[in-house]
Amino acid sequence: MKMNIAVFLRIMLFISLSVMVYDYLKLEQSFIQMERGFIDGFSMYISPWPGNFFLITTLLFLLANIVIMINVWRNKNADKRSFLTFEYDVSDERAVGNTRKAVSHAFSILLIYSLLMIGSYMYIPNYFVDHIWYPLFTTASIPIVGLISYFIVYKVLQYK
Amino acid sequence: MIKNRVKELRARFDYTQGELADIVGVTRQTIVALEKGSYTPSLLLAMNLAEVFKLPIEEIFTKEES
Repeated sequence: MKMNIAVFLRIMLFISLSVMVYDYLKLEQSFIQMERGFIDGFSMYISPWPGNFFLITTLLFLLANIVIMINVWRNKNADKRSFLTFEYDVSDERAVGNTRKAVSHAFSILLIYSLLMIGSYMYIPNYFVDHIWYPLFTTASIPIVGLISYFIVYKVLQYK
Repeated sequence: MIKNRVKELRARFDYTQGELADIVGVTRQTIVALEKGSYTPSLLLAMNLAEVFKLPIEEIFTKEES
């Protein structure tokens, strides 16, 4: 349960930050287009929800982090030296071993996924101008894919 | 491959999986995995189990050719 919350909140943190940055980028891009004479003016509605979403997610993330850290500290069986981020399960030696295996699997998947993502920029160069979301969300997808891979591998190992 | 007698010894000592887990300082899931034979414990855990069951390690854990 602890791991589910940790992974979910971390993914939400990446998504909310991306959505918030995307709004900012759209605005910046319109200003640049206006400066360069591509458009005479623009109007844009800035919705407050991406910022609120980010703030709420960050608060929940910090709160969950503190609660989990206290629990780990109180657990006399926990391997505290292995506790680096709160996605890591350090409740006992098997959990630490499973975490290590899951992290190494996720790392391998990330190496392949990053290669594909960087390669994909080559085939869709126009997207950078027309659709600024592409580089932003592909970058955000890298840690998200890593977290999902880590979560799946950990759960498979846990019930093995 | 390492085989173990944890399930048999636990029943003999009348411990539940949770109780044994608490005594040796692991989670219940680790005891479940040990009993299923899907997890090879660390030397420390093996020694703790040996202490609980009052047996030498080699009488609890045996090497089996796969």
